[in-house]
Amino acid sequence: MNSASRIVLVVGSGISGVASALELANAGFDVYLLEKEAVVGGHAASFPCKATDVCSKCSACVVSDKIKQAVLHPKIRLLTNSAIRKLSGEAGNFRVEITQQPRYVDEERCIACSLCTEVCPTDPKAVYPPPAEGAPFSYILDEALCLHFKGEKCDLCRENCPTKAIEFDRKPQEQELSVGAIVVATGFDVFDARGKGSLGYGRYPDVITGLDLERILNREGCLRLPSNGKEPRNIAFIQCIGSRDEGHGYCSHVCCKYAMKLAGLIKYQVPDTRITIFYIDLQTAGKGFAQFYEEYKAKIRFIRGVPVEILRSEFGELDVRFEDISQGIVCRDTFDLVVLSVGISPGKNSWDLARILGINMSNDGFFDVADPLSTNETNVDGILLAGACQGPKDIPDSVAHGIAAASKAMEILSESVGRRVTG
Amino acid sequence: MNGCIVAFCCEHSAYPAADLAGRLRLHYPESLRVIRVPCAGRVDVIHILKAFENGASAVLVLGCEDGACHHITGNTRAKERVKYCNMLLKEVEVDGRPVAMFNLSPNTPHKFVRAVNEITKIIKESGR
Amino acid sequence: METRIGIFLCNCGGGMKNIDFDAVAEKVARMPGVTCVNLVSHLCLDEGREKMIASIREENLDRVIVAACSPEFKEHIFRQALEDAGLNGHLLAMANIREQCSWAHEGDVTEKAVELIKMATNRARLLQPLERKELPVNREVLVIGGGFSAIDTALHLSRLGLRTTLLEKEAVLGTGTGEWQSLHGFDNSSMTAAVEGDRNIDVLASARMTAAEGTIGDFTVTITREGEEISRKYGAIVLATGFRTELAPTSTLKLRTQAEPISGISIVSQEQLFHMLHNSIVEAKPRTIGFMFDFSDENSRFPTLTTLNNALAAKNKWGSEIYIFCKNVKVDSEGAEKLYREARECGVVFLKCETTPRMSMDNGRVAVEARDVFLGEDTVIACDLLVAEELLLPIAGTETLSSLLNIRLDSRGFYQDENVHLYPVASEKKGVFVIGWCRGNLDMGRVLTDISSVVMSVHGLLSSGKILVEVERVKVDPQKCVACLTCIRVCPHGAIQLVRVDGDKEVAGISDLACDACGICSAICPAKAIKFQGYRDEEILAQIEAIGES
Ligand SMILES: Cc1cc2nc3c(=O)[nH]c(=O)nc-3n(C[C@H](O)[C@H](O)[C@H](O)COP(=O)(O)OP(=O)(O)OC[C@H]3O[C@@H](n4cnc5c(N)ncnc54)[C@H](O)[C@@H]3O)c2cc1C
Ligand SMILES: Cc1cc2nc3c(=O)[nH]c(=O)nc-3n(C[C@H](O)[C@H](O)[C@H](O)COP(=O)(O)OP(=O)(O)OC[C@H]3O[C@@H](n4cnc5c(N)ncnc54)[C@H](O)[C@@H]3O)c2cc1C
Ligand code: SF4
Ligand code: SF4
Repeated sequence: MNSASRIVLVVGSGISGVASALELANAGFDVYLLEKEAVVGGHAASFPCKATDVCSKCSACVVSDKIKQAVLHPKIRLLTNSAIRKLSGEAGNFRVEITQQPRYVDEERCIACSLCTEVCPTDPKAVYPPPAEGAPFSYILDEALCLHFKGEKCDLCRENCPTKAIEFDRKPQEQELSVGAIVVATGFDVFDARGKGSLGYGRYPDVITGLDLERILNREGCLRLPSNGKEPRNIAFIQCIGSRDEGHGYCSHVCCKYAMKLAGLIKYQVPDTRITIFYIDLQTAGKGFAQFYEEYKAKIRFIRGVPVEILRSEFGELDVRFEDISQGIVCRDTFDLVVLSVGISPGKNSWDLARILGINMSNDGFFDVADPLSTNETNVDGILLAGACQGPKDIPDSVAHGIAAASKAMEILSESVGRRVTG
Repeated sequence: MNGCIVAFCCEHSAYPAADLAGRLRLHYPESLRVIRVPCAGRVDVIHILKAFENGASAVLVLGCEDGACHHITGNTRAKERVKYCNMLLKEVEVDGRPVAMFNLSPNTPHKFVRAVNEITKIIKESGR
Repeated sequence: METRIGIFLCNCGGGMKNIDFDAVAEKVARMPGVTCVNLVSHLCLDEGREKMIASIREENLDRVIVAACSPEFKEHIFRQALEDAGLNGHLLAMANIREQCSWAHEGDVTEKAVELIKMATNRARLLQPLERKELPVNREVLVIGGGFSAIDTALHLSRLGLRTTLLEKEAVLGTGTGEWQSLHGFDNSSMTAAVEGDRNIDVLASARMTAAEGTIGDFTVTITREGEEISRKYGAIVLATGFRTELAPTSTLKLRTQAEPISGISIVSQEQLFHMLHNSIVEAKPRTIGFMFDFSDENSRFPTLTTLNNALAAKNKWGSEIYIFCKNVKVDSEGAEKLYREARECGVVFLKCETTPRMSMDNGRVAVEARDVFLGEDTVIACDLLVAEELLLPIAGTETLSSLLNIRLDSRGFYQDENVHLYPVASEKKGVFVIGWCRGNLDMGRVLTDISSVVMSVHGLLSSGKILVEVERVKVDPQKCVACLTCIRVCPHGAIQLVRVDGDKEVAGISDLACDACGICSAICPAKAIKFQGYRDEEILAQIEAIGES
């Protein structure tokens, strides 16, 4: 690789990290794209396309497109299963110590033939395919489930792999990277809906989160009730779960739109499904959304008010109690599926990373920018923020923010080269 | 010919969707023959007619979702051409062999399979 | 000359059990022109690639078929192998026998695999090499607009060594930012001063673009200034023309004019209120102020922010009672929810109404009659001052510029088609970008990221002064072209222009830099004059001919 001033480390490979890495790589920088999971893509890689007869502008397709480009890019080096241990140095010349956990399945050799999964005797399988749009495509071996790592003799997958891609004796690898700038794109975690006990998430199978729904539709292409596999007839979406409340002094920007778009998709697939959305304020601003809202209004029942309690009747229906604000009375209604539109919460491990990198966090728990007129710069020169780790963003905003971080990194590095040449 | 279905697949949407269907082992009729094109807008009337001349039982033109074409208007141009072909086939009284346009995006393997199944059903119903 | 075709069959190390590879090899070997068939286990790994390169050299192949996985992920590896063996990378055709054959079907698909390889082989026979070249681009950038977005873009580009021209229709820069600059802590005068001191930035004020032609790397723009026409050349164009506001039609009462003394009753705009709050002396502090937004336009992120800021300032400065009438508070921008909370905590009352409130004059005050969904009853509030709802609209001249540059507008008339693949700042025409408020992206945080994005994109295109492209991938045959202009009209990327050949004749010519290789033109050309290498009619028809042969 080049001298440190031509190398950038991008931490986190969600859409913002991928966008940032691609932009830098296209500008001629060498990029390490470091990801703590085994696959690249972050949250948005598991979202379905929400188009009906027309594109609903959900941007999910942009994600698969960019992931593909990033994975194929000769100047981007993927470091999956990796974590940052230590940082030293300064802008233009950082040294980053990382640890990479072994994959056990060699990325280059695995051809995704599924023979290993077929022979794996555990339940659930200890070796399995990555999510459909995730990359790399190589299979994932879960140490916690694998018999081999429990001291048993099992060697079935290794023996059956036609390309000899499975190697049990891989060890974690320590590495030191020299980089000129760091883009932090570690994203968010969805709000844990178990935190709202009265809504029954985790207790009732047919109370699911928006993220669950995204994933079901992506995987299956259609929606069935988790409890009995039937087609849901009557669905409620509840907005602002984990946004705009005591613990979260912000709006998550994405939930109103994803809820309406998902509702639109379900209605498109099964037109006589009844859908109700409970909300506080509907966030329908933004380029290209207003015209959809008009259509949604005609198809979806909107109720201003947030339900306080969900109970399950003896027939398995979900009994939702809510205050209908426009009528000022407490009402109840039954549904067969309730979707909690969970919001964007700060990443659970952000604090650790903030400590290692020495960057500040805002009161809300996201990483903080240096001043109100900067969007990417942190308090540490040479460390930039991209995407939802700085605050809630949808996919287009995350992409734009990722490109902006790349732009700032490029400016910093061209200046630091300039400094060295002149000084 | 053996009654194949010829599918012109845009490389930005339908082609990766078909790949994904394969990776997920979503099965569809073997009679499908995919021709990769850079954009649905590249597909011309002669390509569709040639497929029928060679004995295809149906032709699919698969492009990006309406409003999300990588080349902005490629999918609408394709749709117009499919419409025109249907008219043409009717005029020369070619026994209603179906040409259909479907819109999808690269991450919709299920939609791809649905499109193939749908056209297969139409062929079956028309007794071909 | 007879072609020498080499077929490389990859069984993916056993990942395609429902294909009998020996049978496939035997059948495809019989096709005319096939010199050799190689059965390999891992063509994409080093060992496979080396075998491939060796075979191409030994057998002196001139066309290569790879029957293996999808071209989506490995085509570039095989192309490179061809190049390494001294063959043009475009002489490769792939047959997708894995994802779209073996994995897609349950039963034995040997026959289908054979047919897919035949299709690819038919196409391969016709393939022609493509050359790569570095084409020069002009490194100057034209930024239209002289507001915050435009100035900041120019300053950043300058730092990266790119020269820009700022084209502003008014006599001075920064008029759009006007009174508001202080709110976000940026300072107009320091920015304009920075521009003046920057040798990479050229300012053309009181000027407009009146004509434009050319494509990325080579735009020729006519600028009209005080009746005089100037012609200049640029490599890229950035639109940053801002927006305008207009009173919503529902505000039936007359807006007071700036000239009227600020006292007593009135209906004002946000900007006037801002002025009253920050700059002018108010005779009588308004005791009750009403605000209206989000009734006529869903896109009210920005009005929400302006209202909240103004309401808080009025509360602090005058201690007025404040009522805000709206349908939904649009808090999906950074910091908006905090402002909303702050406002409620200091006593600002929000009345959320499904329908637009009625207004009437009542004894020198504005009576607002609304049905609040929380109270569930009609309320009448008499305001000393009512801040009217404003619509944010595309600025005058948007249509002219968009037709000069041949780029699309969105459904509300702002720049940039609502196609997700263009976001954040691209237009469908390479080298033309749209940023900030003029693309309807109305809040400060998002505008700042637009600016950085466009800096990155423009720098990427122009910084080295040349771009490496495949030349003549899509090409007009000047002999066949009848200059009907159809292709020029339909090319979504504005890549085609009339060019002069052999002295006088004008024909369509495609810019290799601007073309995005969609092939729309080649499908539509009535004279069949446009050839798209790799996807010519012959190549597509040859594939179809192979179907059902066996
Ligand atoms: C339910 C739901 C539905 C949504 N639907 C839509 C929609 O339809 N349209 C839309 O535009 N937006 C939608 N969004 C928003 C969208 O998910 C975000 O805009 C987007 O995912 C943000 O991308 P990101 O890269 O910033 O973060 P993420 O997607 O969270 O990616 C962050 C990545 O960083 C990795 N990472 C985290 N910490 C570390 C670490 N310490 N070291 C290394 N790697 C790390 C993570 O593993 C992850 O891969 C939705 C959000 C939710 C919650
Ligand atoms: C109602 C209202 C409320 C506002 N509220 C706030 C606020 O709360 N906070 C805040 O910071 N700012 C506020 N602003 C100002 C806003 O911030 C600025 O408009 C913005 O910061 C600058 O963005 P811009 O450069 O994209 O557009 P503008 O500042 O509008 O700049 C566009 C420039 O382009 C020029 N132009 C337009 N068309 C052409 C053409 N065809 N040829 C050449 N030149 C052209 C215009 O003359 C103008 O100088 C407000 C403005 C208005 C009108
Ligand atoms: S459409 Fe064909 S004939 Fe008409 S101008 Fe274009 S290339 Fe020439
Ligand atoms: S191939 Fe597409 S982009 Fe290129 S000139 Fe033709 S229509 Fe334009």
